[in-house]
Amino acid sequence: MRLLQFVIWVIISYLFFKLPGILMGKPIPSSLILMYMFFAVVMILLVMTSTEKSTRELLAPIKSMLEDPSKKLIRNVVFVIVPIVAGVITYEQIKPTYEAPVELRSTHPAPPSTIKIYGKTYDLLALENPYRKYEKEDPEKFKELVREGGEVYFKHCFYCHGDKLDGKGHYGQGFNPLPLPFQGKDTIAQLQESYVFWRIATGGPGLPKESTPWLSAMPIWEDFITEEEIWKVILFIYDYTGNVPRSWE
Amino acid sequence: MMGRIISIVVVALVPIVFAGSPLHAAKGDPEKGREIYMKRCWWCHGEEGAADGPAAEFMLPPPRDFTEGVYKFKSTPFDELIPSDEDFFNMIKGGLMKEHVAGWNGMNNTSMPGWEDMLKDDEIWHLVAYIKSIVEYEQPEQGPISVGNKVASSEDSIEKGRKIFREMCAECHGEEGRGDGTKMLKDDWGYRTWPRNLTKPWTFRMTDTVEDIYTRITVGIPGTQMPSFADPESKKRLNDEERWHVANYVVSIAAPYKKPDENTVIKALRIEEEVPDNPSSPVWEKAEYTSFWLVPQMIAKERHFKPSLDSVSVKVVYNDKEIAFLLEWDDRTKSVPGDAKAEEIAAGEVFRDGVAIQLPVVVPEGSEKPYFAMGDKAKPVSVWFWQSETTTEPQRLKLLEGKGFDKIEERDPSAIGLTARGVYDHGTWRVVMKRPLFTKEKDKDIQFVEGKFIPVAFAAWDGSNGEKGSKHELTTWYWLLLKPPVGASIYIVPIAVAVVVLVGELLLLRRFRKD
Ligand code: HEC
Ligand code: HEC
Ligand code: HEC
Repeated sequence: MRLLQFVIWVIISYLFFKLPGILMGKPIPSSLILMYMFFAVVMILLVMTSTEKSTRELLAPIKSMLEDPSKKLIRNVVFVIVPIVAGVITYEQIKPTYEAPVELRSTHPAPPSTIKIYGKTYDLLALENPYRKYEKEDPEKFKELVREGGEVYFKHCFYCHGDKLDGKGHYGQGFNPLPLPFQGKDTIAQLQESYVFWRIATGGPGLPKESTPWLSAMPIWEDFITEEEIWKVILFIYDYTGNVPRSWE
Repeated sequence: MMGRIISIVVVALVPIVFAGSPLHAAKGDPEKGREIYMKRCWWCHGEEGAADGPAAEFMLPPPRDFTEGVYKFKSTPFDELIPSDEDFFNMIKGGLMKEHVAGWNGMNNTSMPGWEDMLKDDEIWHLVAYIKSIVEYEQPEQGPISVGNKVASSEDSIEKGRKIFREMCAECHGEEGRGDGTKMLKDDWGYRTWPRNLTKPWTFRMTDTVEDIYTRITVGIPGTQMPSFADPESKKRLNDEERWHVANYVVSIAAPYKKPDENTVIKALRIEEEVPDNPSSPVWEKAEYTSFWLVPQMIAKERHFKPSLDSVSVKVVYNDKEIAFLLEWDDRTKSVPGDAKAEEIAAGEVFRDGVAIQLPVVVPEGSEKPYFAMGDKAKPVSVWFWQSETTTEPQRLKLLEGKGFDKIEERDPSAIGLTARGVYDHGTWRVVMKRPLFTKEKDKDIQFVEGKFIPVAFAAWDGSNGEKGSKHELTTWYWLLLKPPVGASIYIVPIAVAVVVLVGELLLLRRFRKD
């Protein structure tokens, strides 16, 4: 019975590692699971063999299988299955998979302290959205500015970042990395407006190396739209998603 | 008490019982609908619904003009202008296609998204009420058509459907259903419409179920030249059974291999025979296609917003001397500059069709690659650029070295043994490009080495869609792997492990026996 317990514990721990990944659609890589399982099995064995008695109980079925002549048939079956399973597992491990190399990139790298665009030098540490103040001072004017920002967005950004600002534009699926969503709390909600300004003005090629600038399809918007338009589109992407820019702490 | 419970139950049941019935739309409030519309929809559909929002000019098909009251994807009969409320609801909600392409949860392959993840059902009903109020639509007089007499798909039905298709549909959808018709089609609003490529069901606006296809054939797609085949006045009338046969046939011609999936690696196959230099060689049958999305070039000037090509499928084979790429993509038009027929169905001046393979000049050792669109100063790319023939000149091949969008140099392809040949057949181009694995100038041309992951990207041009120069479709970086033949060791090692385990078992057994 002890052996059965052991098997059940192993299965439970396997499901524990495997299931959440499957349910959330982000499976843990099998190599990692293999490693976790190794430790799990060792732990379970340690616990179950902590006393002489429990060890004996655990091994009793195995022992009896090997010694008891009446269990010859089971023994022979087990003796055939175990090597086959070992062979198959080994094959699964070493067979070539041709999986693409993993390309790690940092989504939100540290920004430079100054940038040179539109023929000027901007100090990103001191840079603020010149229109933000109207949110309190003149709400009517602010609304108008947001709308103008929306027009910029729906001329230049929606086909990648999505009609719903969810990163799923008509052509989004053709890029790698995917266009980032502005909905949710992981992207612009974490950023200061000056950072977003830098990202929009300099695009993919403006990124530092750790963010794979050679892969990003984000255009260099300095070439297409004005500084004012960038500030307005920033107002819009925060307003539409209900996100608030991070402020200086 | 009992009375209250009953009334709660009744109230709770109402929406279920009356789903899709007039009561439902009455529930929607046009005023509230207008508010949501002015936050979410006007950007494309326009402030007053006239399809003149700021985004409208950057897409094809264009957003629907709600002031006309013509709707494409409805289930009411062809002679009933007004869609059912359920139709309206589905147009907006989206999410009908179960295995849709990531991101396409509304009208597939258009800019119209599905709103199910952002708007609640009652908000969608408000929108329905508002949109209907623009043209003062009441309820349709006729309800949805019936899909009850479905004819089960069978070889016989598909064969009958094929015959009907050749006769009734091929002039627009092409002999093989790839949308390579022979006519220039425009919708009621004067925009170019491309008949659907029926081999790519994931691009269908509604779903790819046989019921939906039958519905389109029966109702037509109002506002476009896709006619109703149930109209008794029309020369193109089909009876109910015939419409099911042809729907079954349409389902049967899907070509799933053209649909790009998660796979980002082209596995080049090592072959013993000669590397083929033409698309019809039987050698290609051994290799498998890997398909990638083509997206319009919207990154550098001049940008392109209305592409007509959406995916490319690739096979690669090599032997100890040479490597060949087979590029296959569906293009509705064979663009032959100077040809009167090609000019007739083109959207303006006709340029050559084309396709290109982009490779790094030097295979990167680390993760750092050249910029994915035409490379950069530090890391140049090689581009093999094939173009189709004109009435006076043959097909041509260029070898380009790219160090950025505007820093492109031309070299002589024959100097490195690069050749190309393309064949157009019923809406599909197949182009083979071939080169020796190695060249003399190792710092100028890529050297193809087995077992290395080589970045590769593609681009394509449809010359009948005004595509030329920077106006084209492209892919991001993917991978090419010359798959070395697997040695016997991957079988020997597992067998050895099994033997070791068996021996271990026997030793164990012996010990126990002795005890
Ligand atoms: C051709 C497709 C494309 C277009 C058009 C495009 N983007 Fe992007 N954008 C991307 C991609 C891909 C990324 C993710 C990679 C990266 O960070 O560079 C991105 C990232 C961003 C980010 C960084 C978000 C973050 O959390 O770091 C911002 C901000 C942004 N885009 C704003 C815009 C704006 C504003 C426009 C329109 C003016 C626009 N984009 C147009 C493709 C595009
Ligand atoms: C980014 C642009 C865009 C936005 C935003 C947008 N649409 Fe659309 N819509 C389109 C396009 C493009 C089509 C035409 C698709 C076609 O012809 O195949 C369309 C078509 C439609 C249709 C007609 C479908 C038919 O069968 O004829 C309706 C109804 C509609 N949209 C409602 C809405 C509503 C409601 C919203 C806001 C919640 C909205 N759209 C937001 C682009 C957009
Ligand atoms: C006169 C030209 C013409 C003929 C004939 C024609 N079609 Fe179409 N068809 C079109 C056009 C144009 C479209 C695309 C309309 C749009 O969405 O803009 C289309 C779209 C479709 C769709 C796509 C539905 C979706 O959900 O996206 C199907 C399926 C279809 N046709 C099937 C058929 C079948 C089957 C026949 C023959 C019985 C046929 N067509 C005959 C022009 C035609």
